[in-house]
Order: sequence, then structure tokens, then C-alpha cells
Amino acid sequence: MSLRSLPLFLLLLVASCSQSPVFEQYETVSRIGDQQEWGAKDLDDQDWEKGKPIVTGGQIYWFRTPIAILKTPGSLRPYGIQLDVYGEYEVFWDGVLIGKNGNPGQEAVLPPEGKMWATFSIPTHLTEAGEHVLAIRSSLYHFPDHSGIWGLEMDHYDDLLNDRLIESSYMHLFAGAFLIASFYFLLLFLSDKKEYATLVFSISCFLFFILILAEFSKAYMPIHYSMHIVRLQLIGSLMFGISFLIPFYFSMQFPFPKRKLLLTLYAGVLLFFFLSRYVFELTANNMVLSMWMFSFGIVVFGAYKKRKGARLVLLTLLLSVPIGFVTPFNKSLFAGFSLILLGMFYLLSLRIKEQRLAYETSLVQSTRLRLELLKKNIQPHFLMNTLTSLIDWVEEAPKKGVLFIEALAKEFDLFNQIENKTLIPIAQEIALCRTHLEIMEYRKEINYSLQEEGIDLKEKIPPGIFHTLLENGITHSLPLEDNSVKFTLNFEANSDYKCYTFLTFAAGLGKETKKEGTGLKYIKARLTESYHGQWDFTSEPADHGWKNTIKIYS
Amino acid sequence: MHILIVEDESRIAKRIERMTRAIFGDALQSLQHINTLHGAVRFIENNPLDLVLLDLNLNGESGFDLLATAVSGSFHTVIISAYKDQAITAYEYGVLDFVPKPFNRDRLEQALNKTLVKGKTAAHDIKFLAVKKRHRIQLIPLEEVLYIKGAGAYTELFLADGKKELHNKSLEKLEQLLSPSFERIHKSYLMKMSELREIRVETGSKYMAVLKNGERIPIGRTKYKDIKAKWL
Repeated sequence: MSLRSLPLFLLLLVASCSQSPVFEQYETVSRIGDQQEWGAKDLDDQDWEKGKPIVTGGQIYWFRTPIAILKTPGSLRPYGIQLDVYGEYEVFWDGVLIGKNGNPGQEAVLPPEGKMWATFSIPTHLTEAGEHVLAIRSSLYHFPDHSGIWGLEMDHYDDLLNDRLIESSYMHLFAGAFLIASFYFLLLFLSDKKEYATLVFSISCFLFFILILAEFSKAYMPIHYSMHIVRLQLIGSLMFGISFLIPFYFSMQFPFPKRKLLLTLYAGVLLFFFLSRYVFELTANNMVLSMWMFSFGIVVFGAYKKRKGARLVLLTLLLSVPIGFVTPFNKSLFAGFSLILLGMFYLLSLRIKEQRLAYETSLVQSTRLRLELLKKNIQPHFLMNTLTSLIDWVEEAPKKGVLFIEALAKEFDLFNQIENKTLIPIAQEIALCRTHLEIMEYRKEINYSLQEEGIDLKEKIPPGIFHTLLENGITHSLPLEDNSVKFTLNFEANSDYKCYTFLTFAAGLGKETKKEGTGLKYIKARLTESYHGQWDFTSEPADHGWKNTIKIYS
Repeated sequence: MHILIVEDESRIAKRIERMTRAIFGDALQSLQHINTLHGAVRFIENNPLDLVLLDLNLNGESGFDLLATAVSGSFHTVIISAYKDQAITAYEYGVLDFVPKPFNRDRLEQALNKTLVKGKTAAHDIKFLAVKKRHRIQLIPLEEVLYIKGAGAYTELFLADGKKELHNKSLEKLEQLLSPSFERIHKSYLMKMSELREIRVETGSKYMAVLKNGERIPIGRTKYKDIKAKWL
């Protein structure tokens, strides 16, 4: 079927809802027993039982329904009758046998025969406008309490068959879309196993796919009435799954307090409805209603908290209400579910977009950090002052100048090694600090020293963070009376955290409170990059000079 | 010659000191090295100076505050800095020269010689004159200055709005910084050439420059021909 006929189909669907029916159905009467003339049109059935009898032991019973045909059909388009009746039966129209669905009365001996939904053609000469009688001779071996007519439809025979096929083929297309969505999001989940929301969405889509199949496959898949319960159980279980997963999904997107407790309670309510299955439709109804109310609560909470996308999802939930009122349950169920699934889909796309943006930002951030690290060596203050000093050493004391160049080469080499790393061995960082001190000694002619205490050489840290602290210490300090500046790096670890303490012993520090420089920003950004929120960094004046502590929580 | 070196890199300070001593020789009367901003400000306030050699980045602090103080003083300022991109701003403030690091003796000598040369040396566009007020430094845009009158060791700046500001630099030092837009038309006057409307000869062969706002400034006898030639 081409897409072009879709509007036509929708029009038909609307038309078929509003089209005036060709028949009118009156009250059904029944009688247990079996007499051939009970099918006759003119039988006096005044004393027959009204309502649905309970027929045990597979015995035969008859039921009769007067039907008024409102319009005589054209000669080429005979009427047909579509029945939703439990049991194996024979159909009589005005006393004439027009169809057989199984072997009434012989169910216990013969294998199951006949299908749940059957359509019979009625001979044209029996469908003049006016009163007619439908009589059914049936036995109900498996579900004695399911006697009578559950569904009856009369129309042109071809239309009865075609409409149902057309409807189910569109619903299958629809189901296919959900199947693809379910696969797509499953693969998405497999590529990133932390995103449980995608998995929940994928499962919901898949369950919905099966639900549509289970509901609409009846058009082409014959089921014996004894097996119908299996189909209903399947549909019930699917509804149970979906009814739980949708609010569960919303609870992931819009978290609320006491989430686990409320979800457990909700699952309990659902399970109660699921197990108390007196009437299938009612069970489903209750489950769907509680699903809707719980979801609504969650989404309203999300909207109240101004969560992204909550308003639109709220709108889809609200939209599903009028649909539920206007259309019959089995149609509103699918329309409502798909609307809600679309809302979920929208949320997921929002999250995916957020993640992409976050990822891009993190890429930019780490590139920026890398550049910052590289810049340490070529920023003019370091480079030009170093070169000026270097020229002076070369001119005045060439041998020392060579040592200076070697120290410089070593620092450049170390920077090259760590430039593209996010974590480096602590030993490498300390080596970097030492060469830097060597260079600064040539430049400033101050005695710098760095002492380590309790360093665990197996530890790794982000590159350049102690180097940055060292640089700050050198830049902002004046030497002590013996023309020295001392640094110590101390390491402590316990089961909760690892702690580095970096101390500067110098004069002229801490007299003024300084605002956060780029150096400290670099350190914080590096710590965030590697440890996310699991760190603490303090930098403050102390008696002897300056004190920095970096705590990394495990 | 009294010179102050403000530099926190000990090796570089020694280099500047050594070269300065060699370049000025006996002309040097005192040479002081200070490695902090505060120390430098205190020294400048309490000691007579002819030249300050200034690094703009000391101990992680920007030297631009010090720069404003320095250029408002009576002495010349030469910047020696690793940040070449600060050169233009420094010239706008009115420094005599900007020596980028790393430097050699020739480049330093070239800068130091500017203090010795009389008259026009600076080829850079100075935008402001820094005037020391009671508690602050005020930057006066050069375009508001019409002419400058020498007043002993100081100078008076005559502004377009009719106001008058006292500047700490001598007329000779300002002449070094402000040419060629300003001309020394008299031993006591520097005048902005673009403000000149006409030259009048008065009785007793006195020459007067009439400015666009009508003010009249004397032109020195020896300068008259030169100024007239430049004006025409």
C-alpha cells in the first residue's frame, strides 16, 4: 500500500466511525439443549432465557439474536457477518445454515477446530431490509462462563474482510517504526552502557511493538477460542511491563525524592491490578490509568523543578486524555501510548544533545589545558627572561652558560613528554620541578631547593600542577635572609583520600590577598578533568610563606 | 646622571647595571637596583633621578601602575620588558624607549643615548602626559595640550579648555618626547605646530605666534627663521 493512500485510509477510518450502520441488533436470548428447528426464523422464543447462560460439560446450547437490516444491499455486494464468539458453533440466518465454525457438541472427542473471529457471507436473498434472526448452535467446552455474543459486526462481506486487513497492515507499519526505534536505542545503549534511560526506552518500544502485533495479528492469525486466554495474558503482561517502564523512565529523567520507595509502591499497585484479572478490559484500564497518573505526577514535578523538556512531555500526557475520551479503549490505548513514547523520545533526544554538547565542551577544555601547559614554556615572561639571562651567562661565563642550556633543554624535553597526557607519574612531575628550579637559579641567583616527603612513586597526577605551584611560589616570593627559597612536597594517603601538601618557605608572601590567577584555574581544571568532583584544593598564606593542599578522594 | 634599575631577575639586573656603567662611564653619579614594585615607588619619591630603567612585570604584578608614576616624574623612563606587545601602550604613556628582551649592549646603548641627545629623538606617538596630582596620577591626552611653558625645573601645560597643569619634566625632556608635533619656538616655550594660525612681527622686531584660539606666544629671535620655514 502506498503512502498516498494513507490520507484516504485515515478518511475511511473516520468515515467508518461516523458511517451509519446497516443493521440494528436486538437482545439475545438463549436456551440450553439442541433442536434443529430452534434456528428457524419464526420460532416463538418468548420463554427463552435472557442474559448469558453457563454451559458446562460441552453440551449444546442455542442463542438467537433478532437483527433488523436497514438497507438492502446491491446484488453484487452481499452482506457478511463477523462474529466474536467463544465456542465451536454453527450459524443460521433466518433458519438457513450459512456457516460452520468447529464441531459443536463434539469438542471433547474431536480436536479443536474453528477460530475465534469468523466472518460469514449471507446469501443476498436473505438480506432484504427488515427483520431477520441470527441463530447460533454452539458448545462451550473450555470457558463455560463465556457464552453469548462478544462482538458482532455486519457490513458488505468484502469490506468486513478488507477493512480489518487494511487496519492491521497500517498498525504493523506503525509497529515496525517502534521496532526500529527499539533496535536503534538498544545499539545506542550497547555503545554506552551507562545510559540506562536509552535501554528503558528501547525495551518500552519493543514491548509496544509486540503489543501492537498481539492486538492486530488477529486479522490474519486464526486462534482457537480455547487459546484466546493466552493472547489476553500476553497482552496483559505487555501492558504491565509498559505501564511500569514508562513512569520508571520518567523517574530517571525527572528524579524526585523517595524515588525507590514510590516506584516500589507503584509496582505493587500495578501487580495487584495485574493479578486481579476478573475482566480483562478493566485490568488493562486500571493499569493504564495508574500508569498515566503516576507519570503525570512525575512530569508535573519535573515541570515544577523547571527540568528541560518536562513541559512538552506534560503536554503530550495531557493530549492523551482527550484521545482517551473520544476513541474506544483499544484505539486510544495505542494512540495514547505512542504519544507518550514520542514524548519519551523527545526527552532522549534532548539528553543526547546535552551529552554531545558536554562532550564537545570537554574536548575544547582538554585542548585548552594542553595549550596552557605548552604555553608555560613559550610565554614571553619565561622565555624572554630566560634567554636574556642565558645570553648574559654565555657572554660572561660560557661554561655555566652551557649548563644553563642543558637545564633548559631538559625542561623542554620533559614538557614534550607530558604535553598530551592527562595523568603522569609523580616522579616525572618532580623531575620537571627540579629542572625548573635549576633554570630559575641561573636566572634569579637564589638558592632554590625542593624536598619530598612520603612520595609514593606509583602515584599519578595531572601534568604541570606542582610545576604551576612552584612557578607561583617563585614569582611571588622574595628570598629569605640566607638568599634561599625552600619548597616541600608532602604526600599522605589513607583509605578515604590522598593528600599532597606543597609548602613555600620564603619572604614577602601573603601580605596581600591575591585574586585567582590563571595558574590556579589551570590546576582546578586539570583536577576536574581527571577526578571530576572528587578533589579539594586550597591555597593560603602561612607563617613561613604559602601553603597549598590538594586532596583527592577515592 | 642618577639612574635606577627596577628588575626582579637578578642576572638581568646585573647585566643592565654592567652595561649602563660601561656606556655612561664617568658621567654616572649613582646607580641603584631595586627588585620590588613598592621599593621602587618609595625610592622614586625620595631621590632625585635622571633615568629609570623599568621592567613592567615584577613578581607577578603589572608594572603599569608604576609606569604611570614613573612617566609623571621629572626623569626619563626606558622600559626593558619581555612583553613586546606592551610597547605601543608604553610609548603612549610617554616613555623614552622600549627595549625588548633579550637585548644586547648595542640596543641598550641606543636607548640610553636618547637621554643625552638634545631635541628630537622619539619617533613614537606619545598620546598622554602624566601629571602628578596630590594622591593620584592624571593622564592628560596630548591633543588637549596647546603649548607648554617652562617654569624652572617644571613645566606648565596649557590646555584647550583654558586650564593649566603643572608637569614635573623639564622643557628639555618634554622636547625630547614630543617632537616633531611640538616645536621649541622660544627658550621657555614648546608649541604644537598644528595650533599656529599666524606669525606677527611687532614693534622692536618682536616675533609673536598667534594660536588658533587667539593666544599669543613669543618666538625666539634665533628660532624665527626655522619656525617660519616649517610653518610655511
